[in-house]
Amino acid sequence: MLPAPGSARPTVGRVAQPVPPGRRVPELKAGTPCPTLMTPLELVCTYSGVGVASRHGVLPLAHVIDPFILYLGVVLGGFGVLLALPRRKVSPQLIGALLAAAGLGVVLVGLGLKAAKSGQLPNLYFYVFAAIALGASLRVITHPRPVYAALYFILTILASAGMYLILSAEFMAFALIIIYAGAILITYLFVIMLATQAPTEAEEEDKGAPYDLASREPGIAAVAGFVLLAALTTMFARGIPSLPTGEEIALKSRDPDAILAQLPRRVERALRREGLITDRERIARTFSGPPEIDMKRRIAVVAEPNPVRQSDFDEFIDATRREVPLPEGLRGRNVENLAFDFLNRHPGSIEIAGVVLLMAMLGAVVLSRRQVELDEEAKAQQSRLLSTEEQS
Amino acid sequence: MIATILGQTAFPEAMGSLTLGHYLFVSGVMFALGVIGFLTRRNLIIMFLCTEMMFQAAGIALIAFSRFYLHHTGQSFVIFVLTVAAAEAAMALALVVLLFRRRENLNAEEWAELSG
Amino acid sequence: MLETVGQGVLGGFTGLLASLASPQNGGATVGPWWVILIPLLPIVAVLMCTVCAIARVRSKLPAFLTVVCLGAAFGLSLLMYLQLSGGEHVTVAYRWIDFAWGEGPGQRFTADFGFYVDSLTCLWMLFVTGLATLIALYASEYMSHDLGLGYCRFFAAFNLFVFSMACLVMGSNLIMLYLGWEGVGLCSYLLIGYFYKKPSAVAAAKKAFIMNRIGDLGLALGVMLTFVHFGTVDYAELFASEKLQGYTAALKAGHIDQIPLVAQLIPVLLMIGAFGKSAQLPLYVWLPDAMEGPTPVSALIHAATMVTAGVYLIARTYPLFLCSQYALPIVAWVGVGTALLSATIAMAQFDIKRIMAYSTVSQLGFMFAGLAFLSSAGAAFHVFTHAFFKATLFLCCGAVMHGFAGQLDLRKLSGVAYMKGWGIVGIAMLIGCLNLAGFPFSAGFFSKDMILAEAFVTPGPGYTFLGWVLLLTAGLTAYYTFRVFFRVFIGPKYYEPGDELHAHDDHGHDHAGDHAHSRTSHDTHEPGSGHEFHPHPPGIAINLVLAILAGLSVVAAGAYFIGDHGGWVARLVHESSADTVHVHDANTAAFLAGRGGHASEHAAHGTFLGQDPHKIMYYVSAAIGFVGIAVAFVLHYLGRTTAATSRADKLLPTLGPIATLAQRKWLVDEFYDFLIRKPLWVLSHIFHLIDRLLVDGLVNALGFLPRMCGQSVRRTQSGVLHDYAVWMAGGVAAIAVFIWIITL
Repeated sequence: MLPAPGSARPTVGRVAQPVPPGRRVPELKAGTPCPTLMTPLELVCTYSGVGVASRHGVLPLAHVIDPFILYLGVVLGGFGVLLALPRRKVSPQLIGALLAAAGLGVVLVGLGLKAAKSGQLPNLYFYVFAAIALGASLRVITHPRPVYAALYFILTILASAGMYLILSAEFMAFALIIIYAGAILITYLFVIMLATQAPTEAEEEDKGAPYDLASREPGIAAVAGFVLLAALTTMFARGIPSLPTGEEIALKSRDPDAILAQLPRRVERALRREGLITDRERIARTFSGPPEIDMKRRIAVVAEPNPVRQSDFDEFIDATRREVPLPEGLRGRNVENLAFDFLNRHPGSIEIAGVVLLMAMLGAVVLSRRQVELDEEAKAQQSRLLSTEEQS
Repeated sequence: MIATILGQTAFPEAMGSLTLGHYLFVSGVMFALGVIGFLTRRNLIIMFLCTEMMFQAAGIALIAFSRFYLHHTGQSFVIFVLTVAAAEAAMALALVVLLFRRRENLNAEEWAELSG
Repeated sequence: MLETVGQGVLGGFTGLLASLASPQNGGATVGPWWVILIPLLPIVAVLMCTVCAIARVRSKLPAFLTVVCLGAAFGLSLLMYLQLSGGEHVTVAYRWIDFAWGEGPGQRFTADFGFYVDSLTCLWMLFVTGLATLIALYASEYMSHDLGLGYCRFFAAFNLFVFSMACLVMGSNLIMLYLGWEGVGLCSYLLIGYFYKKPSAVAAAKKAFIMNRIGDLGLALGVMLTFVHFGTVDYAELFASEKLQGYTAALKAGHIDQIPLVAQLIPVLLMIGAFGKSAQLPLYVWLPDAMEGPTPVSALIHAATMVTAGVYLIARTYPLFLCSQYALPIVAWVGVGTALLSATIAMAQFDIKRIMAYSTVSQLGFMFAGLAFLSSAGAAFHVFTHAFFKATLFLCCGAVMHGFAGQLDLRKLSGVAYMKGWGIVGIAMLIGCLNLAGFPFSAGFFSKDMILAEAFVTPGPGYTFLGWVLLLTAGLTAYYTFRVFFRVFIGPKYYEPGDELHAHDDHGHDHAGDHAHSRTSHDTHEPGSGHEFHPHPPGIAINLVLAILAGLSVVAAGAYFIGDHGGWVARLVHESSADTVHVHDANTAAFLAGRGGHASEHAAHGTFLGQDPHKIMYYVSAAIGFVGIAVAFVLHYLGRTTAATSRADKLLPTLGPIATLAQRKWLVDEFYDFLIRKPLWVLSHIFHLIDRLLVDGLVNALGFLPRMCGQSVRRTQSGVLHDYAVWMAGGVAAIAVFIWIITL
């Protein structure tokens, strides 16, 4: 069906670009076929991003992970989860957990084998956090008592926050801990306390509610979940070779330090800490223009502001300027970049998020309001109580 | 380890696509576990926890891509995911409390009025 | 005074309308505006009766208003006769219908709400409004047991009837005639079913309405065909149209075969309408049943006026009928057959009102025969005289019914005329009976003779035979008429009260309830038990009306001697469109008989027993009338000592089943039932089965399939959250797997 590589069909795209040295997986680059000649199937393949590489006749999955290892791991993991799910009678949860861990390990080893070839192994902490997060997740869905499930979910959140840290998203990591672990999950715990029946019999107390003790149709759920997982993973793996390389990304991406051009006070503080400018000198700025910081040349124009002129915009008009190189250690931070991205590029989304939260709050208040109905006797008792309180 | 991470500048260098695959795999597994949990557990609260777990899987994938593309919009998206998760939690938990008041029970199977 | 007020208010208005109306052709002149008041006054009376009903008037006010309005209408009719008789006048109230679908001839349909006044109209309106006034006066007493809403309802419908009749008679086109035709049918229905809690009255009303529908279909088709063929429904335009003039010319020239078949079919269709309304042979069965209505209604609508609408229709469209070689012979045979059949039925009935009803049918047959025998003047004269004497007879019957608590059986009443207070009734009854029987020098005698004579004069298919049949019928008529008189009004005094208790009004009982209710809650009365039941003789209004009507019946005979050649009525008819003189003049009458154009003047003028029928018929019919009366005298008066039996009972066994059959109305109702109702009943059941099994089955099968599909799918709708989630996750997984496979 699909044409062999090197067929007469003209291709355009990244293949034509000059390949920088040190490129890791140049042979997996896909060409984009001419759109006018595409069959519907190719259309789907191309624009869903999954089938581009396959037109080169190579099973791209194999470049990321050995398919046999992947599916073995998935089957192992699925079987393990199936066993780990709570059952009313005999519940081999421990065996299931071990099997699931083995499946996870098999796949991670498979991934790691390929990644090691090109030196792309992840941080060691990744394995730690992944193991903690997935183990805790498994425990969330297998633990019969909601309180413990919620606590294990906090563990999942913490491990995920660790992964965020590895991924240079430290703001999001702590925001996650504060919002999720600190706010949402606490709410869950309160609701669990509010909405749990008082145990009627002593022997039931330890076990929890009967509907928590046995899972519902674990077979179907495990099959559905892990078929989905296999498909998802295959998609990921197929798509990965068509992703740009690090060099290409570095070429296109913005310099994270460029943010400094918009942060003159921080640059001033750093320059002053380094002793490069006097106490009176400040970063100059043109009339109503941006501060004169050139991040390409990594220099800043500083000047002593004219004391006569008080406005921010004309105090540097007559001042003598000089160029100062920025110190090497002065880099743009993640939080600063995130803040500019968040507030500069998504202001409308923030508004919408605010409305969503407000509506959720109102909805929650309206929904959980309780209509108190007192019968006559209760009212009389209440009034007696109130009157005695007033007397005393 | 945290100190080293915090000390580094933003996005020190590009991340390999195979490294990204690791994270995506973890994200996928977490999502699958969330689906399975949602399908198998009867307790309404745990079902909602499982949906939060699926949110979390999406968050990991977003952060990983953000790191891979050296672009911060992925992280901004996670903020919105958190927002929606918080809103959903508020509404869902209010509903759970309401439902619990009705039946003194958190079993989702008890609520089958929509049966055909 | 009314006129001056009307002149002031309406003069300018109607003048404007008249100027707006389309120019009339055909020699008709624009009539005066006050002609409109004749139909308007009854409508005003309808409105006033409605207001009375709303105001819950419980007095005789509606009757009073009705009498005043109808009296005024009668006065205007008289004025109309005095001023307008002899010419053709058209008064247009407004342009009623006007639409065109093309520019050519016959592509524009117009109908004015207008009135065509000529001698025929005047004749009809005179006796319609006059009789209506008198009978309204009569009804004011007769209906007094029903004071209140029923009284208002009665007089509202009564006035509406007069309005409809005025539209029918005075309308300037066939659409107006149709409006009136349906209007009188509606009022007939309303008034027959006046005692709507009485099942027989309701059934009779429905029967009358449905029977009339059959006829009305014919009329409607006839009107449509008239428009299609002649391009107009307006009388003045129709009679002046070139086509009709051409046909008449062809008729005079003896070329009847030049008249197209369509033109010859129009009168056949109109005739069907006339048969329905005037109770002729296939459709006559509703009229005897219509006697379930109050007697004034029977007298006015079902004897004097409405049933003569068919006669009027044929007379009005006589030029069309003359153009057809089929219509008039059919009319002749049907009319004579109806006359004989209903006369034989009338002989065997015991209910005097029903006898009168059958005699009405019979006399209508005479009128139709008269029209068919080219004696439109005779027919109209018979309509005129019949209106008076039959109204008299009915009102006498009504007086008896009113006085004897609804008793109508001639076996249970005897010697009524001898009772105290019943003298005027007896005399009026005698006058009416003499008229009906054709006693010499009574009005009925002359009018009947005109028809009988023409039967032998006019050539036609079997007309001579029909003439003999009519003579026989005249004898039978005399017999059954005087059978009633001899048994009920003279002889030994005896009565049994009927089962209607309104006669007890004088005894202070509360009879505010409706009529039908009082019928059902009657006590049983011993025959002749005077201490409980006293027949109450008619009051002043009834006696006055009876006296007037009887007088008019006598006076009507005088109309025969005013002028020459058939008298006053004949003059009126010959001045109108119903003129037949020109047909008599030519030899075309032979064409109407279908004998070809070579018939001579002698052949066109038949003979009777070798003599001139016009002269000898006086003696023959008088003799036959005497024979009938004598037979009735012998059989029903001589030696009769009780009310229930007479000598005629001894003769019955010799007649065998004929008497029984006649008493059972020749089983015509049963025959219709068998012929039409039973097949319809069977057919409807068959269709019901088809509907149930086939149609419903198909529909149910169509519904069964989706239901089964739904049944199989609905199990997936468990209502449990998890099941939906499983389907969702499974669906996502399936889509992922699908993409996975197609991209391998």
